[in-house]
Amino acid sequence: MIPWRRVGARRRPRRPVTSGDVYGMIAHMAAPAVPRDLVARLVRDLKRRGVDYADVRYEHLLHESLLVEQGRVSSVSLHESAGIGIRVLLNGSWGFASTPHLIPAHLKRAVTQAIGLAKASASVNKRPRPLASVEPAHGVHRSRWTIDPFEVPLSKKLDYLLWANTSLLGPEAVTQATSHMDFYKRRKLFCSTEAAQVEQLLIESGAGLEVVARHGNEVQSRSFPNSHNGALAQAGFEYVKQLDLVGGAKTAQTEVLQLLRAHPPRPGQTTVILDPTQVVMQLHESCGHPTELDRALGQELSYAGGSFLQPECLGTLRYGSPAVTIVADATIPGGVGSFAVDDEGVPAQRVELVRKGVFVGYLSSRESAARLGLAASGGAMRAEGWDVPPIIRMTNVNLEPGEATLSQLLHGVRRGYLLSTNKSWSIDDKRMNFQFTTEIGWEIEDGKLGAIVKNPLYTGITPKFWGRCTGVGRREDWRLWGIPNCAKGEPMQLMHVGHGASYARFDGVQVAPAR
Amino acid sequence: MIGYSRLLTALSKLVKQARADDVSVCAQASTRRVFRFAHEAIHQDLAQESINVTVKVIANHRVGIGSADTLEPESLRRCVRAALEIAKHSPPSSDLPPLPRGHRIRSTAEYVAATARVSPASCVADLKRLFQMCRGVGAQLAGSIIVGEDELAVVNSSATACYASSTIAGAKLVTMYRKLSGFASGVHRDIAQLSLDGLLKRSLSQSLHRLEPVTLPLGTYEVILEPEAVAELMEWLGSIAFGAKSVEKRTSFLAGQMGEQLMDRQVTILDHGNQPGSLRLPFDFEGTPKQKVILIDRGKAAGIVYDSLYGQRFGRASTGHAVSPDDVEGPMPLHLAMVPGRSAAAQMVRACRRGLLIPRFHYVNGLLNPRTALMTGLTREGTFLIEDGKLVAPVATMRFTQSITEAFSRVAAVSKERRLVADPNTGLGCALTPTVHLKRFHFTGRSES
Repeated sequence: MIPWRRVGARRRPRRPVTSGDVYGMIAHMAAPAVPRDLVARLVRDLKRRGVDYADVRYEHLLHESLLVEQGRVSSVSLHESAGIGIRVLLNGSWGFASTPHLIPAHLKRAVTQAIGLAKASASVNKRPRPLASVEPAHGVHRSRWTIDPFEVPLSKKLDYLLWANTSLLGPEAVTQATSHMDFYKRRKLFCSTEAAQVEQLLIESGAGLEVVARHGNEVQSRSFPNSHNGALAQAGFEYVKQLDLVGGAKTAQTEVLQLLRAHPPRPGQTTVILDPTQVVMQLHESCGHPTELDRALGQELSYAGGSFLQPECLGTLRYGSPAVTIVADATIPGGVGSFAVDDEGVPAQRVELVRKGVFVGYLSSRESAARLGLAASGGAMRAEGWDVPPIIRMTNVNLEPGEATLSQLLHGVRRGYLLSTNKSWSIDDKRMNFQFTTEIGWEIEDGKLGAIVKNPLYTGITPKFWGRCTGVGRREDWRLWGIPNCAKGEPMQLMHVGHGASYARFDGVQVAPAR
Repeated sequence: MIGYSRLLTALSKLVKQARADDVSVCAQASTRRVFRFAHEAIHQDLAQESINVTVKVIANHRVGIGSADTLEPESLRRCVRAALEIAKHSPPSSDLPPLPRGHRIRSTAEYVAATARVSPASCVADLKRLFQMCRGVGAQLAGSIIVGEDELAVVNSSATACYASSTIAGAKLVTMYRKLSGFASGVHRDIAQLSLDGLLKRSLSQSLHRLEPVTLPLGTYEVILEPEAVAELMEWLGSIAFGAKSVEKRTSFLAGQMGEQLMDRQVTILDHGNQPGSLRLPFDFEGTPKQKVILIDRGKAAGIVYDSLYGQRFGRASTGHAVSPDDVEGPMPLHLAMVPGRSAAAQMVRACRRGLLIPRFHYVNGLLNPRTALMTGLTREGTFLIEDGKLVAPVATMRFTQSITEAFSRVAAVSKERRLVADPNTGLGCALTPTVHLKRFHFTGRSES
């Protein structure tokens, strides 16, 4: 998972040409009708061919990406993708085939391929592959938005990005200023041989900026409102407006210049308060991934790895302190991991993963749930697009809020650090030993925030770290973020996953300067 | 497989349709069959067919980009219209380079029909044999087998028309025996050259031990990095330092350092898209023929890679390292290689008094401080402690935090043998790397089981 890196030559900004409503036109022309009859015919055909189970998923995606660097427009692109994925279960084996060509010859070939692959695998697979039962879902779902971002004129978006971008420029030390927006409109139709039929229309909007500054050999960066394109929500253009990029740009510029002259943290064990932007990454790597049941069952061993959260630990392993409750919630409005049904037709749910510090649940699928003897799937099967099969993914993995204000979390901390905005991340293949750096930190002395520190690094062992969580921030400071590039599977699928968090305090954390 | 004629005809039509000053269209098409397996069962069996067409138009110095995952004419017309509309409503740019002119390349040398023809039944038969071999020694097997075809085509309004087709076959095999795991991966254009049995033996050689993993004190060790481990570090160097964008941004450790001795004299790193033994690709996403670029020459900073935009900004010609037009990463080296040394890989262990043999790393991250190439990552399967020239014990997972320029400035030896490392799931990117013996490598953490 490598985030974008952007740069451009230093230039003064130009005003864009005022446009008409180009995107209204594009959004309209790039939204072909959902092929309901075609999909229904495919499902009937699969039934006739005697499969044990099959589902057919049509997806149409529109992705608009805008990038401004150094006060000028660097890239504007619109991407359209549409096709059908067919998943077949036959004699205890899966087969999956896909095609972008929605014409009979290609669809027939895809059906034959999927069945052929399942048959080929069946000569190896000796055990049956039962699926946890699910009531066939029906209906039409539309995510919530106020302003369709594809109907917002391009000039308005670029004006705003240029304004935010030029707010980052000025000081000689600033070597790079980047601002971006991304919008996604995804239509999905899911039908299965169990008579499920669900249509979904999901819109996501995101934006952010980054400033890089240099003094001698020292290079520092600051992002707003989150790094790695992490401000993404299932919402319309109103979400981008709420982010206040221009206001954030001034803060980012001030802080990046301060970082150039800041000291690194002192190495040693200390108290750390993570702000919500960094709790997001901590949740993602040390809770989200190890609670994926396919990892725990060994199905990701050749790529992403396994998990220390083995099935025998369920309900007994102490994952964290009693302050720690973590849920996977696909029902929460605004989360990029929210939906009506997952990509095997299971309704969205709120699943407890960690309850008051005890590991109590997995992210699961119909197959993995049945294998573990769970009553039902947790509804976490998602595919990046029509051309790949669904695999177990995070939905919105959230740390439930506590009651403390930031002042209350700071109170009583004699020495420590407040750390914000992820810079680098790494964790072992069982998701135990992690190490993160953040863009910025602040010293804490006697309960008060002090000087800025640069290059803070902290490391730990997952259950020990969460076991030393001595406080979680209140709901008022809790915020939902979206990560657009969670990598998993072969072929690699990049998934949009959500994480909600407030501040969280941890004692006895190993901190060091990254050098 | 779409084929030369059909693909270039479709792209040429698009170039004509787009009424603009300049038009460049590129298409990437691929098929993949991916078998994933664990514990005596195939849990994913996939056939994938995909295409991406990207249209870049330039009209009155304004750029618009549209892309679509289809060759269907009406969708492509929409894509062109979208690109034109974006250009019409975008601000003008004054430093647009001209499109690469008059390059005509047709390459099918990397396409092996036997790989393209391989049947699911044949892959499953191979897999059954591997399962049987593992059962025979009491080991478990997990992993993936991947076969596929790739096509890349670029056509522009300046008489460039390039096409390349290729095949790929690869495997990743994890073997588990008692408390140990082993790993081996391989990739080749020709499935007959993949040698699944050889890969399995390599993986088993790391896992078939009755020894318990030892936990070592943290600190600095000599390390012998096998090709997969070296490749991961080099790919990160490529990502953070060898492209012109990171140099312009001055986050690259090469910025302002050209000609300086940054690494040991035994280290020469280059990017060479036409190098025999690698996954050759003769041109980039702009249709520019790929040039061989020396990045580190006997330890000295020697070069970076350019596309046409960054070439113009730096006053250089493109080196043929453009990525897709809708990608914002800037030019990237996708065919990295380290020049081989004189040592035999087997001799390196014998020459090591106390150190670690590391076949591959896990979850390396190079963003800690790109100016010093400070990276972190972990050991994974097959890491062994070496004492007095012998492998004495498997080692539990350890974390390194290390400047790679510093590590590569203390090289004991570079092997004469090299291995090709690539992810067969993607059609792009590979590294041809030797085994490297480093005198000092800093370990800062360890995992727990």
